[in-house]
Formats: sequence, C-alpha cells, structure tokens
Amino acid sequence: MLLALIILYVITLIYISIVERFRNYASLIAVQGWILLGIALLRLHSLDWLELSFIITETLIFKAVIVPAILMQVIKKTGINRISSTGTSQFNSLMLSITALTISAIMTYYVADQSINMVFFGVALYALLTGLILIVLRSRIFTHMVGFLVIENGVFLFSMAIGVHMPMLINAAILLDILLSVLMLGMFMTKVDKHIHTDDSNSLSRVKD
Amino acid sequence: MIYIFFAIWLTIGASAFLATNRRMVHRLCALYLTVHALFAGVVIGGKYLTTSGEFFTFDELGTLFYVLLAVVAVFIFIHSEAYLKRDDIKNYRNYFALLMLLTTAITGVYFANNIAVTWILLETTTLCGAGILYYRRSEATLEATWKYLFVCSTGIAIAYLGILLLCAAAANTSLNYEDLRQLIIAGNPLYLKAAFLLVLTGYSCKMEIFPLYTIGVDANFAAPAPASALLSTGLVNAGFLAIFRIYRLFAHTELMGWVQNVMLIIGVMSLLVGALFLRRTNNYKRFLSYSTVENMGIVAIGLGVGGAGLWAAVFHVVCHTLIKSGLFLQIAIVRQVYNGYRINRIGDYIKINKVGAIAIIAGMIAILAFPPSPLFISELMIMTQALAGGAWWLIAVMVLLLCVVIFTICHRVIKLCYQPNQDEVHPSNIDRRLSYSALLLLLAAFVLGLWQPEVLTSIIDKIVTL
Repeated sequence: MLLALIILYVITLIYISIVERFRNYASLIAVQGWILLGIALLRLHSLDWLELSFIITETLIFKAVIVPAILMQVIKKTGINRISSTGTSQFNSLMLSITALTISAIMTYYVADQSINMVFFGVALYALLTGLILIVLRSRIFTHMVGFLVIENGVFLFSMAIGVHMPMLINAAILLDILLSVLMLGMFMTKVDKHIHTDDSNSLSRVKD
Repeated sequence: MIYIFFAIWLTIGASAFLATNRRMVHRLCALYLTVHALFAGVVIGGKYLTTSGEFFTFDELGTLFYVLLAVVAVFIFIHSEAYLKRDDIKNYRNYFALLMLLTTAITGVYFANNIAVTWILLETTTLCGAGILYYRRSEATLEATWKYLFVCSTGIAIAYLGILLLCAAAANTSLNYEDLRQLIIAGNPLYLKAAFLLVLTGYSCKMEIFPLYTIGVDANFAAPAPASALLSTGLVNAGFLAIFRIYRLFAHTELMGWVQNVMLIIGVMSLLVGALFLRRTNNYKRFLSYSTVENMGIVAIGLGVGGAGLWAAVFHVVCHTLIKSGLFLQIAIVRQVYNGYRINRIGDYIKINKVGAIAIIAGMIAILAFPPSPLFISELMIMTQALAGGAWWLIAVMVLLLCVVIFTICHRVIKLCYQPNQDEVHPSNIDRRLSYSALLLLLAAFVLGLWQPEVLTSIIDKIVTL
C-alpha cells in the first residue's frame, strides 16, 4: 500500500511538470496533499498519538485542503488559466522530468544506506528537482509558487525518509514552513495581483541594479 | 530563565500592534530595550555559560553577539523614531512591533543550542523581516517583499533538507549541537558533505554571502534605512552564527579540510560579487548592502583559511556590526536630506551636513580597513594566515578585489560629499544629534582598532577553540 502511494506520488510529479492549466496544478497539489496524508498514516503509525495527530492534522488541513483551496482562489481572482505560451514545450518538460527522475534514482542508488529509506529519499530528491525545474523554466509567478509547494512536499517526504521517529521540533518546523507557504499564497492573492502583473515574472524587475 | 524574557519581549512586541498613539509606542520601545539591557546584565554578570532550558545555552559566541545586538538596537530604535516620525500611527506601530519581534527572534538564534530551534527562529526572522520590508507599501517594496519571502523560504527549505540529512548521518534525533558534534564523527561522509552544502546554501540568504546574497541586498533596499541597519548587522550575524555552529560541528571530523575549501570558494565568490556590484549600483543603500556581501566574503575566507583566520573572522564580524550599523544610520539621515539615495544625482553633503559627511568619510575609512580601522587587523590576520598556508593565489585574488572595492567606495563616498548636487534638498530635516549618535558607533569601532580589551580577546579565543 505504501509503495502504491509512493508510485502515485511520482506520477503526480511527472504530470505536474507537463500540465499547462493552472487548475491542474492546484488539483495535483491537492492530490499530493492527500497522498502525503496516506503515507504519513502508514509510515508514522508507531509514533505516540500526540505527535501523530499533530502531523495528520497539519497535513490534512494545510496540505490537502487549505493550500489547494487558496490556489483555486488565486486562479479565480487573477483570471489567468495557463502557463506562458513562450515557455518550454510539454515534450521538453517531460524529457527534463524523466532526466530528473533518472538522476534521482542513480543518486539514491549510490548514496542511500541503512539510515535512510531509499525509496523515500529518491522520491524526495525527485520532488526537489521537479520544484526547481518549475521555478526555473516557467515564467509565470503562479508556477513559481507551485514549484515552491512541490519542494515543500518533497521536504516533508524527506523528513519521513530519515526514520519514523520525528521529534516534535521537526513537526513544528514543518508547520512553520506550511504557514509561510500560506502567507505567501495570501500575499499573492491580496497584494501581488493588484500591483504586479502575475502573468509574467519579468514584471518583477523594479528592484535591481 | 530565557523563556521568561522571551515571554516579556513577545508581550511587549505584540502590545505595540495595539498602541493607539506614538507616546505609547515609545514607552513600549523603552521598556523593550530596558528588558534587553537587564537580560544582557544577567547574561554577562555570572549566569554566563549556564544552560537555560532545553534549547538555549548562554555560550561565549551567543553572548558576544547578543551584547552587540543590544547596543546597536538602542541606536536603531532611536533613529527609527526620527526617521518615521511623519508616518501614520498604524504603519508606525506595526513597524516597531515587527522590529521588536525581529530583534527577539535574532536573540533566540544567537543562544539556540539546537539545530532545529536555530532553523525555526531563522524562519521566524523571515516572517518579521517581510513585514518590515513592506513598510512603504509601494510596488518596489512589494516586489522586494515577495522576492524575500520566496527566496528565503526556498533557501530555508533547502537548509532544512540539509539538517535532516545531518541528523540521518549522525543517526541522531536530539538535534542538539553538542550531541551532533560527537555523533557526526562516525557519520557517512557523503551525507555530511551534502548536508553542509545544503545548510550553507540555505543560510547564505541570511548571512548575505554567495549564492543567495541577492535577497539580502533587495531587503536592505526596501526596508526603512534604520531597519536595514538591523538586517545588515543583527540578522547577518544570526546567519553567521548559524553557519559557524555548523562549521564547528565538522571541526573534529576528517571533512574539515573539505569544509574549509568550500568556505574559501564561497568567500572568494562573495568578495567578487560584492566588488563588482559595488561599481554597478546607483543606490546608496544597495551600495552599502554589497559592501556587506564583500565583508561577509572576507569572513568566509577567514573561516576557510582557519587558524588565526578564524579569530580574525569573528573579530571582523564584531567590528563590521558597529561600522555597518553606523553607516546605515548615517545613510538614513542622507535620505531625509535628499529624499532618495541616487548616487549619480545627490552631492554636496559636506556643505549641507558637515557632521554627517565627516561621519560617512570616517565610515569609509573604517569599512575600507584603513588603519586605525579594526578591519585592518582582521584582514591582515587573514592574509597572514593564508600566506602561512602558502595560498598565494588567494592573496592575489583578495588584493585585486580589495583594490576594486577601495576605488569604488572612495569614489562613491567622495561623490556624495563633494559632487554638485542635482536633487532637491530638505536641510530642515537634518537632526545633527542623530549624526553625532551614529558617529558613536563608528568611534567605538576605531577604539577597537586601536585597543582590543582583554575581555573581548579572551572571549574570541574561547569561541575559536574548536
């Protein structure tokens, strides 16, 4: 079951690198949130109930519900539905994504040892690379935000890779990270769109030398 | 004990959000600074080196930088009051509340003895800093705030990956620096290397070094100038401490040589970027920020060469705090005179505000490490150590880049003081008492250049004992 969820998570990562509609991005982030919830439940069941309920609650509320809902609101509010047509093509994005997956698999094979779960490590690395690819290749600010959320999800997965024992401090750190994501999304929705054109990151060019 | 102080600071900071008039804000600020003075007294006066709670320790490193922060904060709060006196009360109170919360978070970073607590508090500084950056509510500040949040969050997330990897390598869950120090000796070297690179990359956005230095420059540009003094010193020092604590973890491992090489590369790159962009910018605040990048590059080189370079690096950070905060506060006065920071347009400052101009020239001498600047001592020590290690290439690169820095800073500062002014001036805005007070910080730096008190040298000796 755990492996099935991980494979599903990898599929969402491949899919997220080729989709062009913002609604699909939001849906995939929601799906990732639910998958992470399932993985956390299966992987961390041996934790004491307080820590487990903390992780489950934060994953459910923020990753699976609030963040995707805010993304949908942003799409509605800005009225922008697609990635920029001048960006990298779907085929090239797919090729890059598969290359990132291959690199992650090779690195995991050479790097991982008994202290880290190999599958979790590899997928987390792939998530990190996918997030970076989205930030670097896509020109719209919304896609950058999605790239950041993909990295955050990868970090969450990685924290489960280092073993089932998660000190409360790690949980607090994850929560703070999620809160920061929500703050950024809120700022994006309420402030950025009014003043800065959200359709192009080139509009972020006032602050420079 | 520290938790009680944290509770008091947070309560005062939160209360400032509800203040209805300026007098109330001023009283809360005075109370906040008094509590800091009290805490500094307690830490220095004997409680030193005792553990306070599970997550904080009053070690030499934290104490030294905390005392500096407490001193600089007094000047920053006073200058902020004068700088923002015409702004509406809502923005005014929010600014001071966030400034107090930021100072509290930085204090926490200084004393944290746990890698996760350091990370959490650095993340908190991002939240508080973002609020301060957006103070002007303009498109430029919004853009800078957005970039700051985005890049810092991504950087901090990368650092978090590094921390998790470090814990995995140490097969440890306590996350305490002391425990990690013992356990990573037997850790997987590949994990440790990857962890160090990730943490260094992530925290570089706070220490304003290569690769994520840009965000600190943008932050200093957008924030009100007195707040930039805090971001460019207190927060940069927090980044330095976070990296230095990780650096110390590796001291007894076989990877120390590799870690020092990485620090050298980062240091040279930061120095290069700082030197080149100092010439390119047309804004005095960004100019000072690139000077911070350049100086932090020198600090990273100090960590890279090791030995006496390590002592020099810590001393350099201490003196840079006094000099850079003094310069940023002087630039805040410049802005009140010209209503801007444009290098190619503003000038004649020596005729408009003689004290301020002399202070800026003194700051130039100090930041360029001309004797009797204390930075002369630290830079000389770093170069001597590099020479002892046979790193001629490093000396050549440093000298070349420092020549560019010296030329650029002299050229820009002399322009500000003597070139014909092309912008409208508001001489009535000058409060010479502020110029004198910021000059005090620079004078303190010069005193350290001429005489290093025994207490300071012995504290730095203990800090660099790895």
